[in-house]
Amino acid sequence: MNGPQAMLPLQLECTLYFENNPYAYETVDGLSVRLGRKAEDLEKILEHLVSLNIVEVIGKGATAIYHYNQPELVHGVEV
Amino acid sequence: MNNNVVNTGVNGLDRVLYGGIPRGNTVIVEGFPGTGKTLLGMQFLYQGAVQHDEPGIYITFEEFPDQIYKDMKAFGWDIRKLEEENKLRVITLSPEVLMDQMMKPDGLFEHLIHEIGCKRIVVDSISLFQYSYASIEEQRKVIYSFRNTLRKYQLTSILLKEMTSVEEENVSFINYLVDGVITLTLKPYSKNYRKRTLEVTKMRGSRIQEGEHLYRITDEGIYLIPALSMVEDEVITAPVDTVPTAIPAMDRILGGGIHDGATFTIDTNSKSNYRYIVTAIKSGRIKAGQKLLIFLSSLTTISELESNFKKYDLDLAQIVKEGNITFVEHYRRNVPKEYKDAIINVSDLDNEQYRRVMNEQIFSMIEQGVANGEKWFVYYDLNTIASQRGSEFVKLYFGVEVAKISSLGVSTLVFTNFKELGEETSGFVERSSNGVIRTWVDGNYQFLQITKTPNGTISEPLLVEKIDEKPFIRLV
Ligand SMILES: Nc1ncnc2c1ncn2[C@@H]1O[C@H](COP(=O)(O)OP(=O)(O)O)[C@@H](O)[C@H]1O
Ligand SMILES: [Mg+2]
Repeated sequence: MNGPQAMLPLQLECTLYFENNPYAYETVDGLSVRLGRKAEDLEKILEHLVSLNIVEVIGKGATAIYHYNQPELVHGVEV
Repeated sequence: MNNNVVNTGVNGLDRVLYGGIPRGNTVIVEGFPGTGKTLLGMQFLYQGAVQHDEPGIYITFEEFPDQIYKDMKAFGWDIRKLEEENKLRVITLSPEVLMDQMMKPDGLFEHLIHEIGCKRIVVDSISLFQYSYASIEEQRKVIYSFRNTLRKYQLTSILLKEMTSVEEENVSFINYLVDGVITLTLKPYSKNYRKRTLEVTKMRGSRIQEGEHLYRITDEGIYLIPALSMVEDEVITAPVDTVPTAIPAMDRILGGGIHDGATFTIDTNSKSNYRYIVTAIKSGRIKAGQKLLIFLSSLTTISELESNFKKYDLDLAQIVKEGNITFVEHYRRNVPKEYKDAIINVSDLDNEQYRRVMNEQIFSMIEQGVANGEKWFVYYDLNTIASQRGSEFVKLYFGVEVAKISSLGVSTLVFTNFKELGEETSGFVERSSNGVIRTWVDGNYQFLQITKTPNGTISEPLLVEKIDEKPFIRLV
């Protein structure tokens, strides 16, 4: 049940949340309340999203803050 | 544009605040759910970004930003587009994360502020602090340091506060801490209509129009109509029988000028320069085609009046020749012969005889004139009456005389010095007047304050600045 496949809907949920709310800054606990999902499940997914460069993390541990990593496109426009 | 105030994005509210929120102020907007706090907050940021090029950040603890993006589309506001242009951010985080990041040098908060050059902040809502911090002391400390940080970055801020039916003991402390408090309410009005009202109960560094102002939620957001006591509205709706004083700032406070039939008292002291104020008011009446009854004083001679009038492009001798001014003279003085017929000399009369002349000659002349369609204005020098007729006379007859004049629809400007008149008589004169204008000198400045008006608006003390062109004074 804990395999990567089982996590896909939650990963999608997380990705969509950050995409739709690009200026959300969430701790794991905060996101857990927000989405109504277990913190320990979210922790793994967030780590994964960080590795995919979809989400950025500020800080470490319980106070680490996750937020959307704006696609290059947006930065490109700014320059 | 005044750079010291920040427009709220709600025109009517700016008028209530005489321009807007003083820059850098932290203001609470409180109200029950559904009163429009979120809307007001977004409108403040949206209009700030679009109309004033002032980037802003909306911090929400509870709402999902994408819900806000969607809701604001109803008002035609494309928030996502402004985010892409770096003019707006709708940020969501928890109060703890916010505070933690605010305290950190180089933290997320500072980064976000600098990234867009943020000038305006809205927090939705600070009520959430009470769930994040258990003890009241801690909540207070947090809000206090929060406010200090907002000040440090010179952010003009609106903190939204949810009201609940239970009055929290924290309320007064928070309201005390911030620079301004705006309260929104939603009241049942009739069976199927509810009245939305806004009241500014506190605003450091700004005058406010007190009272409850009605607002509506329209397709363009919040639309507020300042209550009728608003100075500007009075000007628009000024009745036709109101005559301007020639001093625009004064007319605004008076709702257009001085009504026919109104008794105004101007309280001056010897140091203050009242000449222009008084002449401006008289000139307004003359230009409106009114006839004047002027009490001469020991200080104002005909020739001085002549030169004062000339400054306002009026030829006193000509006006007198046309029979439009009558003088009451309490002194034996030489007067130019072209004025002789216009002067009623009462210097030899005792109080009894004086009363008779006033009634039989002067009031009946005005009465006759009014009956023939003339408009009249009386300049009543109470200083002279008090010194020549005595304060007993003033107490006995002043009220009767102004009431008589007023009943004819004639307005009176009573010139006096409350201090010299004594407390009791002044109080009486003040009560008999529809309006009171006070001017005094304090240090190197002259001030003017309108402390009583028929419509209930009063002014703060205004500075009297001497200027070179008409009306020669400006009220600041
Ligand atoms: N397009 C609209 N036209 C008229 N009223 C609206 C519109 N959108 C929202 N409202 C009204 O605005 C109110 C919502 O205000 P909101 O800012 O969310 O209140 P608060 O934040 O104080 O709870 C609701 O009462 C709703 O009826
Ligand atoms: Mg709200």
